[in-house]
Amino acid sequence: MTQYAFHFDATRCTGCKTCEFACKDYKDLDADSAYRKVYECAGGETVRDADGCIRTTCFSYPVSISCNHCDSPACMQVCPTGAMHKDDQSGLVSVDEGKCIGCGYCHMACPYNSPKVDREKGHSVKCDGCAERLSAGESPVCVEACPARALAFGPVEEMGKLGERASIAPLPDASLTYPNLFVKACADAQPSDSRAGKIVNPLEVL
Amino acid sequence: MPLGFETALGEITLVLFTTLAPSGIVACAIMAGVLVFSPLGAAERIRINRGLCIPLVITMVGLVASATHLGSPANALYVFLGVGRSPLSNEVFAAVLFLASCGLYWLFCFTEKQYVTAQKAWCVFVIVTGAVCVGAIARAYDAPTIVTWSTPFVPANVWLSAFAGGPLLGMASLRVARAVCLHRLASKVLLAVSFAALVANLSVLAAQSIDLFNIWNGYGTAASLVPWYPAMVVLYGMAGIAAVLFVAAGMRGGKLPSASKLGACCVLFFAGLFVVRFGFYMMHMTYGVGI
Repeated sequence: MTQYAFHFDATRCTGCKTCEFACKDYKDLDADSAYRKVYECAGGETVRDADGCIRTTCFSYPVSISCNHCDSPACMQVCPTGAMHKDDQSGLVSVDEGKCIGCGYCHMACPYNSPKVDREKGHSVKCDGCAERLSAGESPVCVEACPARALAFGPVEEMGKLGERASIAPLPDASLTYPNLFVKACADAQPSDSRAGKIVNPLEVL
Repeated sequence: MPLGFETALGEITLVLFTTLAPSGIVACAIMAGVLVFSPLGAAERIRINRGLCIPLVITMVGLVASATHLGSPANALYVFLGVGRSPLSNEVFAAVLFLASCGLYWLFCFTEKQYVTAQKAWCVFVIVTGAVCVGAIARAYDAPTIVTWSTPFVPANVWLSAFAGGPLLGMASLRVARAVCLHRLASKVLLAVSFAALVANLSVLAAQSIDLFNIWNGYGTAASLVPWYPAMVVLYGMAGIAAVLFVAAGMRGGKLPSASKLGACCVLFFAGLFVVRFGFYMMHMTYGVGI
C-alpha cells in the first residue's frame, strides 16, 4: 500500500483560495459546501509604549486544508456503518454512499471540519483526494490549481521530507489523528497549543 | 446569533430524543419494578401492564425523532456492523433491544391468562435492557476528538436527568393505571429520587458551565458558542423544581395529585430539560477547527 499525503507550504501560501474554488468547481459544489478550506489565523496586538514607539506582535497566516486522510481517522472510528473507510491501496479516506446513513457523526468527530452531510444526497460528502485523477496519474485539482505551488501531493515518504506532520494552529496536535498533511511552517505560524491566534474568517469555513 | 446555535438547530430532533428517551426508559423500568416487587391484585397488575404503554410511547417518540435526522434511513441496518466499535452503533443496538423487550412485553400482557411469573422475569429483563440503553445514550457522543462532549459531565447529565424526569413520568403513568402502591411509600420515594437527581444534575450542569471557559479551539472558548448556558441551566432548574413542588403540594395530607396534574408537571419538567439539552448541542466543539 502507498499512503498518499498532502504537503502545505505556509511560506508560499498567499491565502488566495484558488485551491478552494478549483475544488468547488471540479466537484460542482454549491455555495454552502467546500471540501478544501482556507483558514485565516490571526492574533497579536499593536501598542504604543512609554517612549511613544509603536510596537506590534500582530500576525496573520492562511492554512489551506481538506481531508487529511489520517492514519487514525476520527470519522472512521465513530462511523456506525463502516461507510467511512480507508482505501487499501492509497490510504485515502472516502464515503461508501451505499452504506452511509447520513447521521453526521463523522462531521461531529472530525477535528479538521472535513466531512459534511449533504442533505439532498442523504449521505456524507468529503474530499476523496481526487481519487479518479490520481488513478489517471494526475494530482488533485487543488494542488494543480495553486498559483504559488504551496500545495503538493504524493506518497507519504516524499511529503514527509518536505515538512513536519501538521501541528500548527489552528490545527490540532498531530498526535490526535496522525493526519497525512505535512507543513512547512511560515515565520508567523503558531504551535497547535498556542492560544495567541484565532480563526478570523469563521463564516467562510463553517 | 452565537456560532453554536445553528449546530443545535440542525440537531433539534436529537435534542428531543435526549430529552424524552432516557426519562421514558427510566419510567418504564420503574413500572417494571413495581410489577416485580409490589404485591398486586390481578386487576391492578393488568392496569399497570397496559399503562406501561405511556412511557413506552414517549420513549418511542424520542427514538423516532432521532431517526428523522438521518439522511438515508434505508441504510440503517448497516448500523449493526459497528456494534462494539462505534458508540452510535452501541446506542442504536441498545435502543432496539430495549424497545423490543419492552414492546413485546406489553403485547405479551394482553394474553387472556396472565402468566405472572413469566411477566416478572420479563420485567427484570426490561429493567436490565433499560439500564444498558440509558448507559449507551450517555456514552453515545464520547469521541475523544469532541472536546466539549468527551467529559464526565455528559454521561452524568444524561443519567441524572433520566432519574429526575423518569420518576415523575413513572408516577404519572402509575396514576393513570390507578396503582395502589402510589398511596403507600412509592410516591414519596419517587418524588425524593426525582428531587435528589434534579439537584445533583443542576450541580453537574453548573460545574460543566464553568468548565466551558477552559475549553477552546481555533474559534475561541466553548463558552462563546453557548453564552446563554448559565441562563439555560437556571431555566431548567426553575422548571424542574416547580414541577417537583407542584407534585409535592398535591401530596399534602396523604392525597395524590390527579393524573392530569402529574402530566402537566412532566410537560413542565421536559420543557426545561429541552432547553438545557439544546445548550448541550450548541456547545459541540472538537479540538482543532470543528464546531
